[in-house]
Amino acid sequence: MSSEHTAPLLSVRNLVVEFSTRYGPVRAVDDISFDVYPNETVGIVGESGCGKTVTGLTLLQLIPMPPGRIVQGSIKFDGRDLTKLSEKEMQEMRGSDISMIFQEPMTALNPVFSVGNQMIDVLRRHKNLTRRQARELAINMLDTVGIPAPRKRIDEYPHQMSGGMRQRVMIAMALSCGPKLLIADEPTTALDVTTQAQVMEQIVKLQDEFHMSMILVTHDLGVVAESCDRAIVMYCGNIIETAAIDDLFHKPQHPYTRGLLDSIPRIREERVAELPIIRGIVPDLLHLPDGCRFADRCPRATDECRKDKPVVNIDPVTGNGVACYHPMG
Amino acid sequence: MEVLQYAIRKLIGGIPLVLGVTFISFLLMVYFGPDKTYELLGKNPTQEQIDEIRHELGYDKPFMVRYGEYLKEMATLDFGASDSTGEPVSKVLARTVPISLALITPGFILGNLLGILLALIAAYHRSGPIDKYIMGFSVVGMSISFLIVVIAFQIIFSSSYGLNAFPVRGWNVHSFSDYLRYITVPTLATVFVALGYNTRFYRAVLVEEMTRDHVRTAKAFGTRPGKLLYKNILKNSMIPIITRIMFSIPLVVVSGSLIIESYFGIPGIGKVTYDAITTGDQPILKAVVGLTAVLFVITLLITDILYRVVDPRVSLK
Repeated sequence: MSSEHTAPLLSVRNLVVEFSTRYGPVRAVDDISFDVYPNETVGIVGESGCGKTVTGLTLLQLIPMPPGRIVQGSIKFDGRDLTKLSEKEMQEMRGSDISMIFQEPMTALNPVFSVGNQMIDVLRRHKNLTRRQARELAINMLDTVGIPAPRKRIDEYPHQMSGGMRQRVMIAMALSCGPKLLIADEPTTALDVTTQAQVMEQIVKLQDEFHMSMILVTHDLGVVAESCDRAIVMYCGNIIETAAIDDLFHKPQHPYTRGLLDSIPRIREERVAELPIIRGIVPDLLHLPDGCRFADRCPRATDECRKDKPVVNIDPVTGNGVACYHPMG
Repeated sequence: MEVLQYAIRKLIGGIPLVLGVTFISFLLMVYFGPDKTYELLGKNPTQEQIDEIRHELGYDKPFMVRYGEYLKEMATLDFGASDSTGEPVSKVLARTVPISLALITPGFILGNLLGILLALIAAYHRSGPIDKYIMGFSVVGMSISFLIVVIAFQIIFSSSYGLNAFPVRGWNVHSFSDYLRYITVPTLATVFVALGYNTRFYRAVLVEEMTRDHVRTAKAFGTRPGKLLYKNILKNSMIPIITRIMFSIPLVVVSGSLIIESYFGIPGIGKVTYDAITTGDQPILKAVVGLTAVLFVITLLITDILYRVVDPRVSLK
């Protein structure tokens, strides 16, 4: 999807996000750069604490500041640098140009206001609508995301709906103002498997219909394989590999990516006594090694890896890149 | 309709509570309470005289019969006459309760409204200088004894050393302007004392609510911080706020008025209760204790209904 002709919708360059803690500053996101092109779906994958959620939140400047802080870098969206916008301009951006869906549909909606009230609020904030018009639009959106009897359900409260239903409401709310970019932070993690599939399908379908780009933050490689064009693998706040989805799954370059793929439980041709795992543990963000952050867990690591940190080199033709001295090839 | 059914169910459910409270108060105040026999007798009474007086006072009746009589008095609101003045208790109540309510209500409402307002301001500027000033003043307000506040305010507002603009004590109300003149200083004193506690409590509730997921969602959809606070956060914080306000009502009515009324010489129910305790005026005490129990039940009921109003998840079933 990353062609030379279209300009990226979102372009993140050298972004560093730090949180101050009692033990000193922690870099949750350390010098990452990536692009998202129009209509493209980019997956950000990695295990808990790798900085993927912080990346998503930082795009909308939703990390609590303080203790969080954008140390450096730029986030260019549609030609404007989001890091340089005022809080007021950012508020206009949130929910209209860029929307976000959160992980926990149980707690992410306000429990004391009806679904309609919350949706109408968003619509009227960003569009010049009367209450009645906004309500009609909200009902239409609920219908679009597959909520039965939307005219009745719009007046219900979140606790009267199931998890899948609530997540659909979130999606309806996120898409109601026609955003150009949707950030979905683990949108299906809290749902049961069948609902997961339905909700994911709905998101992908609507993404097409609404002509928007999407960043899908998840630890679920299955979801990424099904719905993304390209994926970014993060480890300890760094991007370690980025590749088109087929390349990533068939020819993973980074030993970590390979490890992640191998450790997915699936039906295999031969029986395995034990599911392969990545041995070792994620290093503490406060005590990071000088060299490659994966070196201690990596079967291919050499002295070179422990001395200097490898950087991602993007291939100009394929758009793929890996931060490794000894890629799997 | 649902609310009415609920209210009736709750009121019926409150009966055992009222019975329990009245039973304990009967036991402590009446059965083991002051014995008036010898006050009414002359010197060197004979056993017959003693028995006669005890019979007149009803002391010779069995325990359950006496408790039954007390319950009957409660139900009919007829508590007899005050031992010290001879005035019927119902008349005493009718005279003093409205004064107490008129005295306490403005301070109570202002103290809570200002408390919420200051808490909102402090929460909005969380960890900033404005927050720190507000919290600092709250601690000062909480730390100064109510008695000192009352005396200081009396000196500032009502003496020739200060403004000398308001009456120091008493209750000589014939018009609305009289009313305002008499309640100003007591109200200021109550608000000053209550404000510190209220502000700290409400701020803690609001700040806690600010960390919730739904607040982040609202922010992610472009809600302004101000609206976020007074709409999304405030409504979600209403349950603890209502709990605090409602549960302080019985306390404020009984003990709050007691202190203010005795310091400002206002003839309200607090003053009457205080005098009744010190003189052992049983009919008045019986009435006050019983009615306080009923007030508690009613407050609980209204609290539950208010929960339902602010939070749709609360069921009235």
